[in-house]
Amino acid sequence: MPPPLLRGILACAALLGSCLMPAAAQSQSQPAPSSATPSKVLYTLATQCSLAGGPPQPCTVEATDESGTTIYRHRIGAQTIAVRITDSPVTMAIKSGTSTTWVPLRTAGALFSTNTICFNGRELCVVNPNYLNSVREDRQDLRLQGRDLVKVHFGPDGRVNASCYDSGCEADLR
Amino acid sequence: MSGPLISSTSWRRRNSLVLALMLAVPSITSPLAALAVALDTSQYPLIARGGGGGGRGGGGFSGGGRGGGSFGGGRSGFQNTGGAGGLNRGANRPSGGWSQSVRGNAPSPSLSRPASRPSGGFSGADRTPGSLGAGNRTPGSLGGGNRTPADFGNRTPGDLGNRTPGDFGNRTPGSLGGIDRTPGSLSGIDRTPGNVDRSNLGNRTGLTSGDRALGGDGSFNRNANLNRDNLNGSFNRDGQRVFNGSVGNNWSRNWNVNNVNLSPGWARPGWGYARPWGTGWYGGWATPSWGWWGANAALWGISTLASAAVINAAVDSAVSSNTTYIVVPQTTYQLLYGTVQPSGSQGVTFLVQADGNTYNLTADCNAGTIDGAMPNDAAQAELLNAACQVAYGSAS
Repeated sequence: MPPPLLRGILACAALLGSCLMPAAAQSQSQPAPSSATPSKVLYTLATQCSLAGGPPQPCTVEATDESGTTIYRHRIGAQTIAVRITDSPVTMAIKSGTSTTWVPLRTAGALFSTNTICFNGRELCVVNPNYLNSVREDRQDLRLQGRDLVKVHFGPDGRVNASCYDSGCEADLR
Repeated sequence: MSGPLISSTSWRRRNSLVLALMLAVPSITSPLAALAVALDTSQYPLIARGGGGGGRGGGGFSGGGRGGGSFGGGRSGFQNTGGAGGLNRGANRPSGGWSQSVRGNAPSPSLSRPASRPSGGFSGADRTPGSLGAGNRTPGSLGGGNRTPADFGNRTPGDLGNRTPGDFGNRTPGSLGGIDRTPGSLSGIDRTPGNVDRSNLGNRTGLTSGDRALGGDGSFNRNANLNRDNLNGSFNRDGQRVFNGSVGNNWSRNWNVNNVNLSPGWARPGWGYARPWGTGWYGGWATPSWGWWGANAALWGISTLASAAVINAAVDSAVSSNTTYIVVPQTTYQLLYGTVQPSGSQGVTFLVQADGNTYNLTADCNAGTIDGAMPNDAAQAELLNAACQVAYGSAS
C-alpha cells in the first residue's frame, strides 16, 4: 500500500481529476458568474445630469449590483450611458448607447458638497447622493474625513494610478 | 505484490536517509532556510515598486503603499490596491437607505469648488459673511464649543463702548456675561461718591419702567422692578440669551453613543441634498404654526426660533470640523445631528446631550411636540426646531 499522502494523490488523479488543477482552470469549467448571479437593482434615482460640461438635464440613474460590479445606467432623454465600477481593484468603464464595448475610464471625480460625480473629466456628470452616501459610509477612516473633492486617475491597465483631494487636485505633479 | 512492498520499503528508506542527514548534519538546513529567505525577499523589490526601493528598510513594503515617504503614510490615495481615493463601487446600502429622487431645487452637477475655501471646506452654498448671522451666533455655531467668560478676555467696562442701558435690554446686573457689575466691584473704577464721573449718563433719561433711572440727586433708582423672567440662562457674546437645556421628566437617558452611528453617509458636505428621505417641507414661517406656540412663546420671552440658515450653518460648520454635534442655538443642548432620522412622515428621532447625559427623543415636527408633549420651555422649543430643521428643513 502506498503511504497515505501518495494514496490521496492517486485517488485525486483517478477519481476527481481536479485536485491539483489551478484555481483559474477550475473557474473556467464553471458557469460564468454573471449568468449564475442575477442582477439586483439597488435603486433608481431621479436627478440631474450634464453631458460634456453642458447644462443640467433631468435624468434617471438605475444602479444594479451585477456579480460583484455595480452598473449605473444614466438615462438622459433618449440617451443611455452606463458606467461599470468594480472593487478590489477599483476600476471604472463606460459604455454609451447600444455599444457592447466597455471603455475604461481615464478619470473620475466626486465633489461631496454638490453630491456630484463626474466621469472622464466632464464627459458625464451626475448628482448622485446615493453613491456618495455609500462611499462615505464605507470609508469612515481618515481617508475621507474633512475631504470634499476627490479625483482619481486610471492608468492604461484600468487601475487607479493617482488620486488627489481638495486643493491637491490643483497641483501639477509632472 | 512484491512491487508495492519494494516501493514502500524504498520510500521509507529514502525518507529515513533525508531525516538522518538533517539530524546528523544540522548545517544542511541552513542553506535551505537561506534559500527560502532569499526567494521571499526577492519579491520585495517587485511589490515595492515605486516605494523607495529595496527591502523593508526602504519603506516600500510595509503598508503596501508607503512610497518614498513624500506622500506620507499608507493612506495617501496612492495605494496600489483598493484605494481609489476613497471611491468604491457604491453598492453597500447606507444607513437611511437609498433616495429615489434628489428633492427640492436640486443642484446642478458640478465639481467646481467655492473660490474662497477655508481648509476643511464649506459645504453647499457659498457663505457670505452676513449669512452667518452676526446676531445669532451661538457657541455651537462657531464650532468652538462652550465659551466661558474667561474666553472673552479681560474686558473692562470701557471695552463695552458707549452702550446705554437701553442697549442691554432687560439684563440684570448679575447676568451681564460674567462681569460683576455691582457698584463695589467694578475693578479699576473708583466709584466713591465724589469721584464718579456721571457726565456720560446724561442720555439715560427716558428710561422706561422697569429700568434703572438716574435720580436728580445723582443716585440710581434700583427699585426691584427689573424683569427677571426667563433670565436664568446666560448671554452669549452677541447679546442673545442662552437658555439652559432642561430635561423632560419622561426623557429616556443614558444612551451609549458608542453603539450609535454618529456619522451616517449623508452627514457630510452637501448633507442637505444627501438626506435620503423627503425634505424641504419644514419651516419657512416667521413663527411656527403650532397651536401652543403663541402663548408659550410670549411667556418664554421669545418671538422667533433659530432660522434655517443658522441651523444649517451650524451643521455645515460641524461637518467641516468633524464634530458630531451642534449646539442648538440659544441653548446648551448638544444635538447629535448624525442621529437624526425620520420617524413616519413628520416625526424625527434623535439623540441629544444635556447635563452630561444622552437622551433619545422623538419629535413631531408638525404638531410641535417632543416625546408627545409640548416643550416645557424655550430651550426645548429650540431643540425641537433644530432637530426638525436638520431632518426636514430646506437645504442651504
